[in-house]
Amino acid sequence: MHMSDALLSPAVAIAFDAVSAASIGISVAKVKGDVFSEKKIPIMGVAGALVFAGQMINFTIPGTGSSGHIGGGIMLAGLLGGVPAFLSIAAVLIIQCLFFADGGLLALGCNIFNIGVIPCLVVYPLIFKPVLAKGITSKRIGFASIAACVAGLELGALGVIAQTQLSGIAALPFGTFSALMLPIHLAIGIIEGIVTAGVLGFIHQMRPEITQAALNETGIKAKDLNRPIAVLAAMALLTGGVLSLYASANPDGLEWSIDKTTQNSLGEASELEAEGLLHEKAADVQSQTSFLPDYSFAKDPQNSAATSISGIVGAAITFAFASGAGLIVAKIKRLNQGKPAENG
Amino acid sequence: MADLVSSLKDLRVLEGLAAKNSVIHRLHPFAKLSMALSIICFSASFGRYSFAQLSLYLFYPFIMMALAELPYSVLLPRLAAALPFCLFAGIANVAMERTPAFYIGSIAITFGTVSLMTIMLKMYICVMAALIMVATTPISDLSAQLRRLHVPGSFVLVFEITYRYIGLLLEQALSMATAYRLRSGDRKALLMRDMPSFLGQMLLSGFDRAERVYAAMQCRGYAIDHIRQSKKKLKTADIAAIGLTLALAACGRFFIFW
Repeated sequence: MHMSDALLSPAVAIAFDAVSAASIGISVAKVKGDVFSEKKIPIMGVAGALVFAGQMINFTIPGTGSSGHIGGGIMLAGLLGGVPAFLSIAAVLIIQCLFFADGGLLALGCNIFNIGVIPCLVVYPLIFKPVLAKGITSKRIGFASIAACVAGLELGALGVIAQTQLSGIAALPFGTFSALMLPIHLAIGIIEGIVTAGVLGFIHQMRPEITQAALNETGIKAKDLNRPIAVLAAMALLTGGVLSLYASANPDGLEWSIDKTTQNSLGEASELEAEGLLHEKAADVQSQTSFLPDYSFAKDPQNSAATSISGIVGAAITFAFASGAGLIVAKIKRLNQGKPAENG
Repeated sequence: MADLVSSLKDLRVLEGLAAKNSVIHRLHPFAKLSMALSIICFSASFGRYSFAQLSLYLFYPFIMMALAELPYSVLLPRLAAALPFCLFAGIANVAMERTPAFYIGSIAITFGTVSLMTIMLKMYICVMAALIMVATTPISDLSAQLRRLHVPGSFVLVFEITYRYIGLLLEQALSMATAYRLRSGDRKALLMRDMPSFLGQMLLSGFDRAERVYAAMQCRGYAIDHIRQSKKKLKTADIAAIGLTLALAACGRFFIFW
């Protein structure tokens, strides 16, 4: 479920980077306020590493012939509490992104939001904790784990769909995309919920103080969010209001209404055009230099070089030049060093 | 099992590469981060049919790989992690956008195909930009840079401990998985019913290990507030590298070459 940079627009990615960064900031402040904060930090680090290692272990799913692995968000929240679990998952996601190319650098905010914020800071306090509030029993652990894993994965998948749709890179309609993603994640959620319930049940049996301490964690309160929400609102206005005007793949409200108006009055699709030498020159400069021109080529997207043989030939020539430049640099370095270097 | 072994190998190989001493390795971590982010941001800003214009950004990975003396055999396999979701979205575009964009002889190339090629190219450039940064920067420098960028010290510490313990815990998971395999008639994956006790044991021993780590850190006088930011400063070469990358990336984005 890791988002890639290739499927996101900068405006959407930066907005989610801001939200995730704020979530990390609030969570760190919350953990630091805890009297056992220093002791918790190594535990959070080791727990993150454990989730990472646990994800590498596949188990067979009965009756399907396929195998799966754990996700870990709800499991970790059940052991550490929502806020510390979120910080552990965020650290794991950064490592997966940087060292294993699993999820993009720009997409990190989206991934931390979908895989960390949703299960640990939203689903855990709203579903998991209330179920176990009356006391921890194996039945309650089972129900809470399955419900929380399903909700976490479904909401996370919905986040992926929404971010992809907002970015306008994938052409799949919202309904079809949802019909493909949500049932798969429902099945994964049930399986993960069963395994999570098993692990939490096992740990509760062996060391009940761990699961009990996690439930006693206070979590993030509404008053903790006042300042970050104000900052985020300002950032959202900036990214949404300024960048999106340039970045939107579809016409914005104003363009759409102008389009509709001119279509109605002229009976055909047209754009408002200004006449005169100055306007022509300005339009020429704009067409050459416009940043994010409707997320397509600055020229007519349907007939531009991007979608013609010359464009493909141009790309092939660029590839040849770029790889040639790489080879020349490697050759020069080898000559300077007087020894062979391992380079493709 | 194969995942465990390859993850362990991947981590060690990248650490080995980051310890080299090339012109790119010597750059300030902030310069490398800025260069990677500018390439990723500019290439992510291209639309779904901008294959030709985007191809200009191929110069970055090719030249950086050569300058940093990085082997393609280590970095290219990592593209596999990013491939499935991009391929899914790209193939969906091929199915949805069937209008011919142009013809090669009698073969129609649809807008969907052009957008699939664009997504794949974008994925290659973005993944390589991030990997080149990581393969040329030791983890300690990356952490110090995060601190300089005002990321909270305690979160940087969680990040560092997670990274350091991944290797150890992967080894523990590998030996537990090997023991399980030997006792279960060479079973390739665990039975689902065995997973809770397997993971539970791992978690319990991990928590005990974390307690010992904390005690050892305290014995050596550790306190979060004592973590200091490193004072490494940007040199002229770092600023020139950032400026050059930004200027070339902006040129590739603002001006139309094809």
